[in-house]
Amino acid sequence: MHEPRDGRHAITETLPETPQEVTEKVLHNHLATGPLFRVAAVFCGVLLLLGVVGFILRVAGGFDDRTKWGYYGAIFFYILTTAQAAPIVSVAMRMAKNHWRRPLARAAELYAIVGVLNLLIFIPLLFVLPSAAGRRSLWLDGAARMNAGGSGWPPLAPHLWIALMLAGLVFLGLALLYTAALPDLATVRDHSTSKRHSMLRRLTLGWRGTPFQWRAHRAALGVLGGLYFMFYISTHSFIAIDYGVALVPGWKDSIFPAFQVLSSLQSALAITLVTMFFLRQTGGYKEFFYVDPFWALSKILLATTILWFYFWWASFFTFWYGRTQAEQNVLQLLMFGPYRPLFILAFLFSFLLPFLLLIWNAVRKSILGPTVAAALVLAGNFFDRLRVYVASFSVEDIRAHQLESVPAAHLPDGADILIILGALGGLVLFYLVGTRLVPVLSMWELKEYLTLRRIRPFLKTHVRVMAKPE
Amino acid sequence: MARREVLGLFRDAETAAGATTVLHEAGVRQDDIEVLTGAPYPEGAFGEHIKRHRIYLFPMIGAICGFTVAILLTAGTQLAYPVVTGGKPILSVPPMVIITYEGTLLGAILFTVLGVVFESRLPRGKIGLYDPRITEGFIGLVVSCAADQWLAVEQALRRAGAFEVKHEQA
Repeated sequence: MHEPRDGRHAITETLPETPQEVTEKVLHNHLATGPLFRVAAVFCGVLLLLGVVGFILRVAGGFDDRTKWGYYGAIFFYILTTAQAAPIVSVAMRMAKNHWRRPLARAAELYAIVGVLNLLIFIPLLFVLPSAAGRRSLWLDGAARMNAGGSGWPPLAPHLWIALMLAGLVFLGLALLYTAALPDLATVRDHSTSKRHSMLRRLTLGWRGTPFQWRAHRAALGVLGGLYFMFYISTHSFIAIDYGVALVPGWKDSIFPAFQVLSSLQSALAITLVTMFFLRQTGGYKEFFYVDPFWALSKILLATTILWFYFWWASFFTFWYGRTQAEQNVLQLLMFGPYRPLFILAFLFSFLLPFLLLIWNAVRKSILGPTVAAALVLAGNFFDRLRVYVASFSVEDIRAHQLESVPAAHLPDGADILIILGALGGLVLFYLVGTRLVPVLSMWELKEYLTLRRIRPFLKTHVRVMAKPE
Repeated sequence: MARREVLGLFRDAETAAGATTVLHEAGVRQDDIEVLTGAPYPEGAFGEHIKRHRIYLFPMIGAICGFTVAILLTAGTQLAYPVVTGGKPILSVPPMVIITYEGTLLGAILFTVLGVVFESRLPRGKIGLYDPRITEGFIGLVVSCAADQWLAVEQALRRAGAFEVKHEQA
């Protein structure tokens, strides 16, 4: 920490002083695997195996009864809207060119690896989703063409197109991660030996760090980031419509897709905060994750938490004010009926409790405060995904004009619990494996920061002075 | 004439930036100097002239290709199954929007990835004259010179404060 001569702490930054120190410290942690890491990896591996057992049990029951796949669908959406959404934090902060993002950028974009797991989880859901024929869906004209003896339109809609979207998002996330990590992989290449060195030599394609390469690298990150943003919003919206709104007759809600995108932004921030906390406490990166990134992210988390309420309210109020039987049934199904406990928990954990915590600057400007609020948000999102997708999967007659009756609550069985545990274990395991492949801190961004930043005396204190080359 | 490369390693950026001036005075052209760094520096920090890249062209071309394929696919399937629905025209734009959007973005993504590789002049089979300490924070200046001038370049680099000088074996 840079302490001014009079002892007042004007600068809370605790980053290493030189690029050499950054390289040394990050590589030391990256190349070493501690006992805690192994224990966590084995534990998560066991959970993943349990999940596979649960999955086999679920598949043995067939794909015809959609209700049974409700919890499976919910956990897919939970991962989609938390871990798989996390790279958007890195993309957005890099676009905004803020400096406090530098320690957390890689921690967030590394979650792109979890997208591979979620893509695998998604495959069975393609068999669960009914054809677009004869029902209200995003895919226009399907019914008419099916009735006319055609194969539906667009061909293989919605299955092929949402699978392509999700695969595109996963590919884009990995491309973004690889591009962002390329200079750091070159650093690991230069400081490793034998097998790892020869593998990285191929993977880094001969990166040397010429000004031309850096320029192309920066432009590529900008373009890929912009594309990721566009793909992220559309994929979340379309999949939420196909597996949520379109499965509930009478749920005519244009706000829900936006709500899903917003809640995924909120959860992406939350999982990034929690990851930062763990990297700080157990990963050996204490000096990199000082209070500034926590403080800065907590402000955006507070904003998204308030927006969560606004989006929920806008959606709820439209149905509540409409007051028709169909609208009341939709509200009963999603909020006040069989899944009321889940709704209350989601409301408390996604909005009320984090809001009450984060309105205090003393809480925001700390390490623990934002982390606790973020953990609450992650729990809230879990309950919210269960509330929405278990409920929407439980509707039997999806081709009805409106929801005539509210189905009873579908409780999880043993297979569901195993699947949920397995998916969560898999999420953490994939991330842990990712940290072994790619440094969890963006060394080149930190080093760039150190070249641009100077600590200078200002009256009786010291301040940071930043060069702004662009 | 045969060319040879000489690498000067500098402990800090200031000395490396000053070294380019010394090299110019020694008769080395700017285009013959390549700066190697472990982190991006502001453009022109070492007095280097950076060639324009065309990376933004790649997503544009990809997007146009993706858009075209998506239009052909959606229009083609609508024409292949010419079912009149509610008196609406066979070729209707709204149902084509999602596929077109998706196709455009997928095309842009694929071409961007290709563009990154192409515009970064990667992959390089041989990494060339290089030092692992560059990724630790050292600055490398690679000077390409006539084979009979490498000694003069090496001396100029040392005079400019190079911590170490390497050169290609003749």
